[in-house]
Amino acid sequence: MTTMIKKTSAFERANHWIMAVSFLVLAVTGAGFLYRLEGLNSIFGSFQNMKTVHNYAGIVFSVSLVLSLFSYLGEALRFDADDFIWLLTLGGYLSKKAKLPPQGRLNAGQKSFYLFLIIAGTAISATGYIIWLVPTLREWILISHLTHNISFVLLLMAIPIHIYLGTLANPGTFRIMVYGTVPVEWARKKHAKWVRSMEAGQ
Amino acid sequence: MQRKTLLISPELCIGCRGCQTACKAWNRLPATKTANKGSFENPPDLTPYVYNKIRYVEAPSEANPVRWLFISQRCMHCEDAGCMKICPAPGALFRTKEGAVAFNKDKCIGCKLCIAGCPFNIPRYDEKDKISKCHLCPDRIAGGLEPACAKTCPTGAIAFGDRSAIIAGARNAGYRKLYGEADLGGLGVLYAFKESPEFYGMNEKPAIPESIVFWHNVLKPLALIGLGGAVAGSVLHYLAIGPKRDGEGGEK
Repeated sequence: MTTMIKKTSAFERANHWIMAVSFLVLAVTGAGFLYRLEGLNSIFGSFQNMKTVHNYAGIVFSVSLVLSLFSYLGEALRFDADDFIWLLTLGGYLSKKAKLPPQGRLNAGQKSFYLFLIIAGTAISATGYIIWLVPTLREWILISHLTHNISFVLLLMAIPIHIYLGTLANPGTFRIMVYGTVPVEWARKKHAKWVRSMEAGQ
Repeated sequence: MQRKTLLISPELCIGCRGCQTACKAWNRLPATKTANKGSFENPPDLTPYVYNKIRYVEAPSEANPVRWLFISQRCMHCEDAGCMKICPAPGALFRTKEGAVAFNKDKCIGCKLCIAGCPFNIPRYDEKDKISKCHLCPDRIAGGLEPACAKTCPTGAIAFGDRSAIIAGARNAGYRKLYGEADLGGLGVLYAFKESPEFYGMNEKPAIPESIVFWHNVLKPLALIGLGGAVAGSVLHYLAIGPKRDGEGGEK
């Protein structure tokens, strides 16, 4: 039997799915507002309802974002020499021959993505609250509306790539967000430093 | 239908404020209590129940120590309307046949973004959080009548008609340029000013905030291009380079 190693806690997985679902709801309703997609009335009934859904999904997303800090922020902020080489090698995604430096529990790409998510997610959440709660402060709204939409454009590019990298591009990765465990040998290839530290700790 | 326009001539206005009353009567807008602030101007500002009002300015000079200005103020019904551009709810703001910007409270979602989009600080929100503003009496126009304010004006300070005829008439009366002729694609409310617009408290060059123009013209298409690019890039990567199978691209 394959020896498995636990890579994510139940809390991390639950929070990831809460964020993923709230993001999808926000993206769909947000696109509905951006492009005035009247077809979405067949789901939400009215744009008034869709606004309510968007606002409350925003609360879920922002709370989930704050909770994620406890899981990933400390690790994402620690970039070492191996991480920079990993980034310069583009994670080996453009060449099958590329040899990658050993990585921790999060590789340099995951760390970078998380830091991006914190910045874009905080920007889109904070400006969302401003637009929702103080809509008559004209200057604030103009800046917030622009920031909200710039963050949306960036997230709309980053999230599909994140989903691709976590599923099709890396067979065996998706189960981390379902079961939380991976085969040790699989982990040794992709997160050697982390596996070594885990084994040393045992 | 030809685009309709109001022509405001402040020098013809005697400040009777019949336009305010007629608007309230026709549009069934309730009265609200206001306080005397020592000015002729009342009510002091547009509200959800005040679609139009006379702004009163004293402009004394050596030559004319008692110069009073009465400037009729309401939604300008811009051709290029910032409120309509930013509004996320389809049908909440819409263009009438005669070119006015009207609203449908049932479709309004109360986000108030139109306040940020308006260059003239016009949209107001009622207690149900629904937009409220001048709609150029589309029900009257449909019946062949003038808007209530123009109909009741006793001096011709508020004139109503086809936009081209209004402009031609003002040319004949000696106005080389009317305020709002070309601004924002042409306003639906024109002003026959005898001095600079600033003198009457109006913005010389009204414009939709640049951030909204950028958002509308650049960000909205960019979001789709970005999403399409990310998905297409992923598919392309999968087909051209392929996933990291076991034993491939490992760490050294």
